[in-house]
Amino acid sequence: MRHAPGDRFTGALGAGVAATTAFVLLVPAALVVVLSFSNDRFFDFPPHAWGVGQYRRLFEDPRWGSALWLSVKIAGPVALLAALVVVPTLFAIHRSRLPLRNALQVGGIAGIILPISAYAVAMYGVYAQIGLLGTYWGLVLANLTLAVPVMLLVTSAAMSRIPPELELAAMVAGASRAQAWFAITLRLLSPAILAGAVLAFVTSLDEAVLVNFLGGPGLETLPKAILDSVRYGLEPVIAAIATLLMVGTSLAMALAARLARGGAS
Amino acid sequence: MSTARGGSASSAEAVLDIQALSKVYGETSALAQVSLQVRQGELLTLLGPSGSGKTTLLKVIAGFEAPTAGTVLLRGRDISRLSPARRGVGMVFQHYALFPHMTVAQNVGYGLKFRGVGRAGRERRVGEMLALLRLDGLGGRYPRQLSGGQQQRVALGRALAYDPEVILMDEPLGALDRALRLEMEEQIRAIHRELGATIVYVTHDQQEALALSDRIAIMRAGKVASIGEPAQLYARPADSFVAGFFANANLLAVAEHELLGDGSARVCCGGGELRCATNATAGDRVVLAVRRRSLRRSASAGSLRIAGPVVEMLLFGDEQEISIDSPALGRVVATIDQRDCAGVALGVELELFAVAQEALLVPLV
Repeated sequence: MRHAPGDRFTGALGAGVAATTAFVLLVPAALVVVLSFSNDRFFDFPPHAWGVGQYRRLFEDPRWGSALWLSVKIAGPVALLAALVVVPTLFAIHRSRLPLRNALQVGGIAGIILPISAYAVAMYGVYAQIGLLGTYWGLVLANLTLAVPVMLLVTSAAMSRIPPELELAAMVAGASRAQAWFAITLRLLSPAILAGAVLAFVTSLDEAVLVNFLGGPGLETLPKAILDSVRYGLEPVIAAIATLLMVGTSLAMALAARLARGGAS
Repeated sequence: MSTARGGSASSAEAVLDIQALSKVYGETSALAQVSLQVRQGELLTLLGPSGSGKTTLLKVIAGFEAPTAGTVLLRGRDISRLSPARRGVGMVFQHYALFPHMTVAQNVGYGLKFRGVGRAGRERRVGEMLALLRLDGLGGRYPRQLSGGQQQRVALGRALAYDPEVILMDEPLGALDRALRLEMEEQIRAIHRELGATIVYVTHDQQEALALSDRIAIMRAGKVASIGEPAQLYARPADSFVAGFFANANLLAVAEHELLGDGSARVCCGGGELRCATNATAGDRVVLAVRRRSLRRSASAGSLRIAGPVVEMLLFGDEQEISIDSPALGRVVATIDQRDCAGVALGVELELFAVAQEALLVPLV
């Protein structure tokens, strides 16, 4: 069957927009990857001397390794705590008759709707009052406020696809409410929870604004280290870090997407 | 497990005894003082339009909703405050509600796990169920690999496997297409016959109710409007609602009537006069209920003449559904044998005659 002319026009327009967007997004990323394989002392495009010199310098300098380790040490607990906050919230929103459950849904994602710099200033004020400035747990908590909304969005969509009748069917057959929640709904939700936890981890790993306000000496996360290094001069080693970060994040996102899709079927 | 329903219990014994059940949501009353007995081995249908309370009643029986007042007795045991798990009922849901991460066999055997049935016992019972429901060889499949009809049979198997005292079915055929629905009706009838299961069946489909039920409770505005055997409800509806909703009868305005005291009445209607049966009592407001098939093209002794131009014709194979617009009575619908439809066309003036023996004067509600 032939498509209507309007159909073909819309299709072409969509393909064009998508291609342009992809191009604009991918070109800088591709440039960074190219730049990372250079042995030059300064940024230059195209590189004069090709090689893996930047990667060698990256792994020789302990500063980058410890920054990455701190970021992971923050992102791990953030992902775990986000799951512990989000799962009960999901049941409250989707399975209870709480009068404020819609407000909970909106409030739950407020953290990524508010302008992050305004949010950071406000948190700075609060942290200064209660002595959390420049502390490890202060950063974990700060990143949690961004990770929870991300995870909530991903898992909430999955939760709304699980019919409540499944729990009723389990209960009428003899399961307690807790058994129905764990063996049916939570089991069906688990791929989405894992996907959400991966996204929460990545969100925390990439966080570069809050750490500048709330961090301090001895709390140099990877994004902070990159920013600081750029502030004092453009070291080409940044391209290597950026490349590894992109590859790692892409793999994590692919994993998350795969998990989420596995849960939907 | 399947011994409880042997011959010892009398067939008229009420398995499920619903007493003065009410459910109020805020200001609205979803159930108002409903009392109902479901007998051993019968298939009782709750039939009603949406919002009539039939699904609420099922939810209260299952334990998904707590009643505002009243009790539910299952074999004399008050279950109204128990959790769903402890009631010992089975349920089939409209959209199957199969567990997607479990195989067919695991779905069917799910309820047995909570009843201390060992692995071997579970496997045997699941095998029996799969054979009964013509699902042999599909035990290892997942629900998404099955057709709609097969999924509904798995749902039936899951509800039957642990041999509950009563099985609740909430519009179980609503999600199926017409051909499959007829097949599943046959399946449910067969299972009901073979196992002697006691079933409470919710539907809004009058044809489905007629095809399946031993008895039908017609619900309206949170109450049981009428309850009885299908043929009796159809032939002698208790009031205008049952006549219109269940028997698809024309409800004709009555100008004047006289109750003759012997269960019959003299009725003036649309300029004519008719003597027919009645279940109205003195002081009732009344209408004349005339079923579509009780209208003929030729007069018979004592029949009532109704005339008007044809405004709509629908062909149903051997029959035509013909609507006329009577100046005196408004729209009247008749189902006429195709062989008697010579000369009938849109706009043609048509005479119809209501058979006196089949008309019924009913209270208007």
